[in-house]
Amino acid sequence: MKNKYIFGAFIIVVFLGFMVYLFTQSNIKYESNFAKVMNENKIVRATGTWVKDKNYVIDRNNQTFTFYITDSNGNQMKVIYDGMMPNNFESAKSVVVTGQYKDGYFHASSILTKCPSKYEGQNTPDVKTSNL
Amino acid sequence: MIGSIILTIALASSIIAMVMYYLSYRGYNNALTFGRLAYHTMAMLVIVAAALLEYLLLTHQYGFKYVYEYSSNELPKGILMATFWAGQEGSFMLWLLLTSIVGLILQSYASKRGDLEPRVMSVFALATSFILIMVSPMFKNPFVYIWSEPIFISIKDINASLVHLPIIQNFLFSDGSSGQEFVKMNSSLFGILTSNGIPIKEFIVNGRGLNPQLTNFWMQIHPPILFTGFSMSTVPFCFAMAAMMKNDYKDWVRQAFPWLLATAGILGLGIMLGGYWAYEMLGWGGYWAWDPVENSSLIPWLVGVAGIHTLLVQRKSQAKGDNVGKFAKTNLILAIMMYVLVIYSTFLTRSGVLGDASVHSFVNPGTMVYLFLVIFVGTFLLLGLGTLAYRWKFLTLHEKSEENLLSRELSLFTAAVVLCASATIILVGTSAPIFGHSVDAAFYNQMHIPIAIIIGLLNGGSLLLKWKTTKPQELLKKSLFSVSATIIVTALIIVLGGISDVLVMLLTLTTTFALIVNLEIAVKIIRGNKKMLGAYVSHIGIALFLLGVISSSIYSREKDLDLVKNQTKDAFGYQMTFTGYRSIDNDTKYAFDINVKKGDKEFTISPVMYISDFNNGLMREPAILSMLTKDFYISPLGYDNGTSSDQATQGQTISLNLGDETNFDGAKISYTNFVAPDMSVMTSGGDFQMGADLTVMKGGKTYSVEALMKKEGRDVHFVPIELKDANLKIQLQKIDPTSKNAQIIFSKLSGDNTAVSKPKEVLSISASTKPFVNLVWSGVVIMVFGFFISVSRRLKESII
Repeated sequence: MKNKYIFGAFIIVVFLGFMVYLFTQSNIKYESNFAKVMNENKIVRATGTWVKDKNYVIDRNNQTFTFYITDSNGNQMKVIYDGMMPNNFESAKSVVVTGQYKDGYFHASSILTKCPSKYEGQNTPDVKTSNL
Repeated sequence: MIGSIILTIALASSIIAMVMYYLSYRGYNNALTFGRLAYHTMAMLVIVAAALLEYLLLTHQYGFKYVYEYSSNELPKGILMATFWAGQEGSFMLWLLLTSIVGLILQSYASKRGDLEPRVMSVFALATSFILIMVSPMFKNPFVYIWSEPIFISIKDINASLVHLPIIQNFLFSDGSSGQEFVKMNSSLFGILTSNGIPIKEFIVNGRGLNPQLTNFWMQIHPPILFTGFSMSTVPFCFAMAAMMKNDYKDWVRQAFPWLLATAGILGLGIMLGGYWAYEMLGWGGYWAWDPVENSSLIPWLVGVAGIHTLLVQRKSQAKGDNVGKFAKTNLILAIMMYVLVIYSTFLTRSGVLGDASVHSFVNPGTMVYLFLVIFVGTFLLLGLGTLAYRWKFLTLHEKSEENLLSRELSLFTAAVVLCASATIILVGTSAPIFGHSVDAAFYNQMHIPIAIIIGLLNGGSLLLKWKTTKPQELLKKSLFSVSATIIVTALIIVLGGISDVLVMLLTLTTTFALIVNLEIAVKIIRGNKKMLGAYVSHIGIALFLLGVISSSIYSREKDLDLVKNQTKDAFGYQMTFTGYRSIDNDTKYAFDINVKKGDKEFTISPVMYISDFNNGLMREPAILSMLTKDFYISPLGYDNGTSSDQATQGQTISLNLGDETNFDGAKISYTNFVAPDMSVMTSGGDFQMGADLTVMKGGKTYSVEALMKKEGRDVHFVPIELKDANLKIQLQKIDPTSKNAQIIFSKLSGDNTAVSKPKEVLSISASTKPFVNLVWSGVVIMVFGFFISVSRRLKESII
């Protein structure tokens, strides 16, 4: 009877240990403060918005897309993404880039654009100009 | 208005039903009739409210916010009906509708089984009350008028003959960057319209429409089936509560069993349909992306299936004369947790907590809804576990638990533990975003390989074990055939499939073992009592499913290719030739025909791409060549018609603001002056030009050039500039007169560009093979079929 519980507890501990280990291994943190992103030497998910006023470069020979994003505090960061400009990028409200900050820029391996989708329609459009 | 009134009365009826049923349980016998009456009133009102919503959608009443936001005149009838559940408000309505109907069936079921009804229905009415509060005017009400909160409506959706009325000019807005015009709809505009005798229906004449990814057959069937599963999962919870209320654990096991089986079957089917939808339409490349939305419906399913296994043990031990039986507490916990996890899943996907974590974006519905969902989850969790804690002592005293290591009881319990482990893993991973973390798909995949191995082993092994205890020699004798057959078949699969990974070998071994054991038993039974087949059919299904998952994911091969028109390329032995595109669906979409040759067989498959009006996004639909043993899967990535400019595939696009400087191929380029268009000509629609003056410095020389956009009649063209000395070609791509931002394409004149300067049509695709992916679908279908064989058997046993 006692053995059963000890055995059960052992299995649970091993399972949880394995899960926690894998969790820390594959865990990627969200960061919306770019000051922290720039000092982090781990892969993070940075959430921000595209700085439309700044230059962006689509380099078709090297298949990279370079642009700037900003966080809510106004910290800007250059992002180089291995790939072309994703779908809906221009209409995205915010972008989530996964990668690491190194040598003065954020090297992104993936971009997630937050767009209207399956479960909720978009809210009001960004109406910039005033009354006509 | 009328819709909200109906829902409010329904909420009152639901609460009355709950109280009356509870009083009836406490001994006030005459309350039962009132409880029944109140529940039926509630259900009828909900059905009327749902019919009203459907009617509003079908008759295009855009004065209602929900109708405007999710439907439009262009949608075909079938899809239009499905817009009912396209948004949050509507999917809560669907959940409510299905729950109410399930309750009607449950009431009739419970009324035939002793004194069960008051207990079960009082708990059930609590659940309907919560969902009714959710759709009440306080939270996610689908009957909200469009003017209740200010909303911007595209001018396209407004009756064109009314746009120029002076009274609405104060409500017109335009978006500078896109040039679109909007009407700001709010209560004061509504007041003006009403006082001028313009009905809202004639003012707003079209809706925003439905996300094109939802405009298909799967949208019509996947959500209703999934929500049926969600609604039915309320029932085991109510039975567990009813058992604890009476402190009698004998009946609920038999009574809840067919419900739990049917719930697991329907929920499983719904989850699979979602996966098939993702695979076939959305082009995610696979059927399962460990997306929070998918995960959150899988978690309660796993817990429910775990419950099926332990309920079986409790039932068996009760049949031997036990009153409480084995695993009584486990079963209560699982039945409670299944429903709590369904609500938790709603919390995860509807409260906005997953904002950044999912490809589905969840708009934050507000703090109130968030809090309410927390209360909803909390109430049912506390109610369930609190009552259990109250009965804990009694249960511990009466629960028998001696198991032999080689008994079916223990192996079934282990199966439940493993299923719960899987649910825990997914729960942890899916909940991580609440704490600002997220996990890779690798987390789920790596954790599930050992779990799947154990599931395979238990799936087969437990059936070879007898109840109570099995003698080792007997086990050996019994398993001789299946074990040897398994070894032979697995060896064949490993050799033919070229499997080298040890874990995959193990997984194949145990899964094959499960398949063979179940087949062996099923073949024996099929001549006897077919009703006993359920479990074996389900287990065959799950084994086939696992084999399908192994082959289609681990042995899938993928390659990105550029297909030049009429040139043949090879991927994995498939000769592909892109032959051109054609427009389909009334010129709204483009199908790209690809001729695929494999051996001496030839097929044409056509992935689809189109720009959606809904969100101005590029939409892609994959094409699949389905064969018995594998799928050949093509996702379109992009298309370049080669006629606009050879630079579209070469060179760099650089966006510059006035005064900016940039470098390209050793040249220093600065944007010195904006060539302004003649504004009066531009606004009147006449011919004009605008552009950017650039200074280019290269090799000691300075060039001044003008990159221009010219509009002549209906045509707009960009004048290319070639600087032969500097080996540079410059062409404007886009320019914004307000911000003066210019997007300019720079490329080299000679070198790598010239080789591809001939216009070419190029279709970029990602091609992949998915071996035996059919096993994934057929496995689930077989499993669900097995569930329903069991339902019919257990339904008979549930009548006392």
